[in-house]
Amino acid sequence: MVILLIPLLLPVLTAVAYLAAGWRRSTAWLGAGSAAVVLAAVVVLAVQVLAAGPRTAVGGLLRADALTAFMLVVVAAVALVACAATPAHLRGEIAAGHASARTATRHTVLVQLFLAAMTLAVLAADLGVLWVAVEATTIITAFLVGQRRTRAAVEAAWKYVVICSTGIALALLGTLLLNYASLHAGSGAGLDLAALADGAAGLDPGVTRIAVALLILGFGTKAGLAPLHAWLPDAHSQAPAPVSALMSGVLLSVAFYAILRVKVIADAALGVGFARTMLVVIALASLLVATTLLIAQRDYKRMLAYSSIEHMGLLALGAAAGGPLATAAVLLHMLGHGLAKSTLFVGAGHVLQATGSSRIADVRALASRSPVLAGCVAAGVLALVGFPPFSLFASEFALARAGFANGLGWATAAAFVLVLVIAAVLVGHTSRMLLGASTAAPGAAPAPLPLPIGAATTMVLALVGCAVIGVGAAPLAPLLARAADIVTGTP
Amino acid sequence: MSVAGITVALVQAVVVLVGSPLLLGIMRQVRARLEGRAGAGVLQPWRDLRKLMRKQPLTPRGTTEVFRMAPLVLMATTLAVVAVVPFVTTAAVPAAGADLFVVVALLTLGAVALALAGLDTGTAFGGMGASREITILALVEPTLLVGVLALSVPVGSTDLGDIVTSTLRDPGRVITPAHVLAAVALGLAVVAETGRLPVDNPSTHLELTMVHEAMVLEYAGPDLALVELASAMRLTVFLGLWATLFAPWGIAGTTGPGAVALGVAVFAVKVTALGAGLAGAEVFLAKLRLFRTPELLAGSFVLALLAVVASFFFG
Amino acid sequence: MSEALLTQLVGLGAGAVLLTAVLVLWLRELAVVIRVFAAQGVALAGLVAVLAVHEGSGELAVVAVGVLVLRAGLLPHLLRRALSAAEGERRVTRPLVNVAASLLAAAVLTLLALAVSQPLVALAPSPVTAAIPVGMAVVLIGFFVLVTRRRALSQLTGFLLMDNGITAVGFLTGAGVALIVELGVFLDVLLAVLVLGVLTGRMRDVFGRTDLDELRELHD
Repeated sequence: MVILLIPLLLPVLTAVAYLAAGWRRSTAWLGAGSAAVVLAAVVVLAVQVLAAGPRTAVGGLLRADALTAFMLVVVAAVALVACAATPAHLRGEIAAGHASARTATRHTVLVQLFLAAMTLAVLAADLGVLWVAVEATTIITAFLVGQRRTRAAVEAAWKYVVICSTGIALALLGTLLLNYASLHAGSGAGLDLAALADGAAGLDPGVTRIAVALLILGFGTKAGLAPLHAWLPDAHSQAPAPVSALMSGVLLSVAFYAILRVKVIADAALGVGFARTMLVVIALASLLVATTLLIAQRDYKRMLAYSSIEHMGLLALGAAAGGPLATAAVLLHMLGHGLAKSTLFVGAGHVLQATGSSRIADVRALASRSPVLAGCVAAGVLALVGFPPFSLFASEFALARAGFANGLGWATAAAFVLVLVIAAVLVGHTSRMLLGASTAAPGAAPAPLPLPIGAATTMVLALVGCAVIGVGAAPLAPLLARAADIVTGTP
Repeated sequence: MSVAGITVALVQAVVVLVGSPLLLGIMRQVRARLEGRAGAGVLQPWRDLRKLMRKQPLTPRGTTEVFRMAPLVLMATTLAVVAVVPFVTTAAVPAAGADLFVVVALLTLGAVALALAGLDTGTAFGGMGASREITILALVEPTLLVGVLALSVPVGSTDLGDIVTSTLRDPGRVITPAHVLAAVALGLAVVAETGRLPVDNPSTHLELTMVHEAMVLEYAGPDLALVELASAMRLTVFLGLWATLFAPWGIAGTTGPGAVALGVAVFAVKVTALGAGLAGAEVFLAKLRLFRTPELLAGSFVLALLAVVASFFFG
Repeated sequence: MSEALLTQLVGLGAGAVLLTAVLVLWLRELAVVIRVFAAQGVALAGLVAVLAVHEGSGELAVVAVGVLVLRAGLLPHLLRRALSAAEGERRVTRPLVNVAASLLAAAVLTLLALAVSQPLVALAPSPVTAAIPVGMAVVLIGFFVLVTRRRALSQLTGFLLMDNGITAVGFLTGAGVALIVELGVFLDVLLAVLVLGVLTGRMRDVFGRTDLDELRELHD
């Protein structure tokens, strides 16, 4: 199955190409081109999966069912946004003296490997391979986070690696224990995700409970969920903008995808109660953390990072609610959040390059200095807080409905109160950046803020995509429905 | 108790009584040689005791019976332990006496008596020594008891004779994790309890650091001789107990004269080797600050606890 | 291999692994801690070797050699190199919790591990699985070291301790995880340590020292 290998191997090949040729004007758009091809391949794959069922490759190590296909779409879509914004970002960094051509080459190589690792995580048919791929993303991105070599960047990278490696080590322990349970269930499933889900009823409940708790906690760390979320705001605020876009937009979702896979097994082996209780607690804790730290936030990149924690909390709530509606909403939310958040991080990167400060207070009158950028940021934040027509409105609405319908009334109510508070805070912070008088001398015309045309196009297109999905998710509907069937365990 | 039992008890008492000052002498000699000194000779502790015995008994003004009784209590408890522990043979151990908990309790009683005597003198040093001694004792005691528990779980009895017999029958038990951990834990406890480095320096009279010496500062003449002798015996008893628990080979199973003689010889060799090893190690150790001592003892307690855990899980 | 001998050897190996974990908590000097960590690697490799002989598995024997090379050779070597690069720093750990309290915490954690791993032992009672709680205890102690140490290298030791515990659990559960996954895990650990090593170096360049107290730039 060549089509299965394209999203995995093309980024690797692109990385090799960058390694050989280096980052220069002629190769600048190679990454974006590769990402576009991958997106096309992934769409073809999704169509094939819908038509002919799951696809496998490499002796069954890689497997693409509807859930995987959808996740691949998310990864590829956000990757395209990030890669398309990369040339402008790197040019800006080099012009400002923050990076050299060598750093730029390293950046592009690592980003492509990062994409390959995420694709592998999603494609893995085996929990072990999934784990290896997720750990690999940590290692690859560690250098991207610390790229600027400032005190803050090194500190962020250190926290990132230590906390994520620890969390992921817990997930490894959970994987081993699940393997142990599987070994003694006698089904010969090993760690194969599909086989485990099918034979989950035979797993020893005692062992599986410990394994599932560790897996959710471990992958939850990587997904930026409480209680091990402390790395997220640091890493996402210190990483270069396109990398932040990828980390916030898809890496978190990929880690959450692992939780969804685990949940399928847990629900079949232990009943829905166990994973649900854990996820509800984690979801509410994450939302609470995000709310409390957003209110007095002074840094706009950190603000976006905390908003990611909020959205991961919402995903966890949706996963806890279970059922086809909630699950489809969770998946749609991943896509919408990925597009909106990556746009915002790209925008924030340009604001940072232009103003040199990531403090909200240092950015004023963006609307008059760069109407396009301001418009994109405004639209992105509106998308993030769930305004129609963006797809996050549809998914959050569905999440709320499913939550109330599936007996999580109080938790859902509490969660959406927090979401409302966050929405108000986000809009407040953003409007202070966009509007207001310029900090320049009164009377002087505000300095215009340059925005490369490539970046502007990317941001506008991503937001349009987000809105289109919100208005008419019809082409995605069968894929979402099939993926939701997999997560809810309906054959 | 049979005649053989009484004989064995007497033999053990005499061996320990005569031997322990010699052990002390050997340990000092080893240290001296390792430090490049000539040393006073193995018999020096006996000479010291003889000198003290000849002096006039003297008690400080204001002290009570507690002060006068303490050396006797110390000596009596030590002798009682010596009489019942199967150092030489397991055959003649009295049924009720050799329980490990009893042994630990008796040894602690002696230490407490001495600490009370230190308080009774009403001097600053006595009180300070007593307070330090009790601190250490309070930390050592849990280790001792938990360590004992770890050893008794696989045997199903806290009787020393039973433990020794079952170890002799199944020598492989000595290298089980429970045994190894308990050996380290009890080894540390023994070092602390007998006032050796790194917990206490037996050869110091520096007021800031001394523990044991501070308590007995007011004793003189025969009383001091008794305290010193009993302390030496306690050292022998602790080392002997450790050897009996963790290296019981050579302990006789009968009460025949030949077996007992061999047992005595092996006991002497084991204790001398341990003592010499301890003295040799002391050369390379510095005394821990008193504040660090709880760390050491907490560590030994953890090891003892782990030993219990291990003994439950690996039998 | 007879049942009794297996019990004894597994017990001994597991005991050594646990003892070294406690020692890491106990000792202050980083150089000694690294040596203890290497000793733990040897014990772990020995444990795997015992299992290999017991199951007569050549594959496991190869893995045992791998464990020995990685955990008793390579990782301690990397740590030592990072330490010697840190010349001039005081080479002692400075725990947030004093040593006596951490030791008692270790005791509590061990009991916790015992309680938690009951279902794991109950699934397939045997001399080998009886040692699973030890692995869990090492994981918890490692986690404890990780969160209570300030110096970057000490945190690294905590992480590796945790990893050793996880490896022990992996082998004791008889998890015949496919060799490819095993290899992936090995590589990932190695890479993670390399990355952390590079970061410690970079941290020293930027902060002058590797004390995490200096990490105060980012907070809310």
